[in-house]
Amino acid sequence: MTPEFHLQKALRIEKSLAKLSPDLFEIRIEAAMLASTHWLNRAFHHLGVNGNDSDVMHTYMLTVNEFRKLESVNSELITMMAEIEDLRPLYVRGDMPGAVEAADHAVTLLGRIRAISENISLMKANPQSL
Amino acid sequence: MIISSHLNKIKQLDAGMALLDPLEDFELWFWSAMVAGTNAVNAALHLAQVTPSESAFPSQPGLYYVPEAEGNKFILKEFGDVLHVGRPPIKKEVPLDIHKMMEAMERIEKFRDPCTRGDTEPNAEIISQCKSAYRECIDLLQIRVLDNQK
Repeated sequence: MTPEFHLQKALRIEKSLAKLSPDLFEIRIEAAMLASTHWLNRAFHHLGVNGNDSDVMHTYMLTVNEFRKLESVNSELITMMAEIEDLRPLYVRGDMPGAVEAADHAVTLLGRIRAISENISLMKANPQSL
Repeated sequence: MIISSHLNKIKQLDAGMALLDPLEDFELWFWSAMVAGTNAVNAALHLAQVTPSESAFPSQPGLYYVPEAEGNKFILKEFGDVLHVGRPPIKKEVPLDIHKMMEAMERIEKFRDPCTRGDTEPNAEIISQCKSAYRECIDLLQIRVLDNQK
């Protein structure tokens, strides 16, 4: 999908996420995963590493080579995305203690992924801002 | 996961859905229904003793996190919670009511990629189909839970 599509989807999901209370940790983690994936795809499209027809769905579905390629372009983005994904088995599909804190962490990571993605998009739109 | 935890997850996700507008917040409203419905299917499979009620949480089809005192570990298992209906397929006989629950979930799942990751615009008809399938799935679970308590 296009960078603009990912932007609109990420913003929509974040707006919905803001309606949820902290105790609803399952859907907050899922929201962080969904919105982060859109920010990550927008960034990788703008960096030219993935075309609009090549979106990342989940980090664990990438081949080792694909993961390494994306990591070499921006390790923070893909590493934080994987960190959010790793919370899902334990707290969304599992009943481990500490889920509210895990969801807070996922939302914090979403904020960091968004900031990096927006910075990449800004540099793409205005290379003089480097 | 154990049955009571699946039932708690459904309550949690239902509470979230109640705060969301199905159209305006479609992505999270839909995702909540999908995850809650999958929990319902897993709980029903445990109640029917098709898959085990246990502390093992799916990471990928066939791969599970198991919490242990010295830390979580990954194990490979043939039967456990499904991540989505069909992932992994259940290679055992499934009772008819649970088969109907799975069919209901497939009617929800078909909108997952087009509407949450693709460019299909959600609309009232899609929401109505998802609501109806979700209701059917949860109602069938309730019947199985009550039957199990008799």
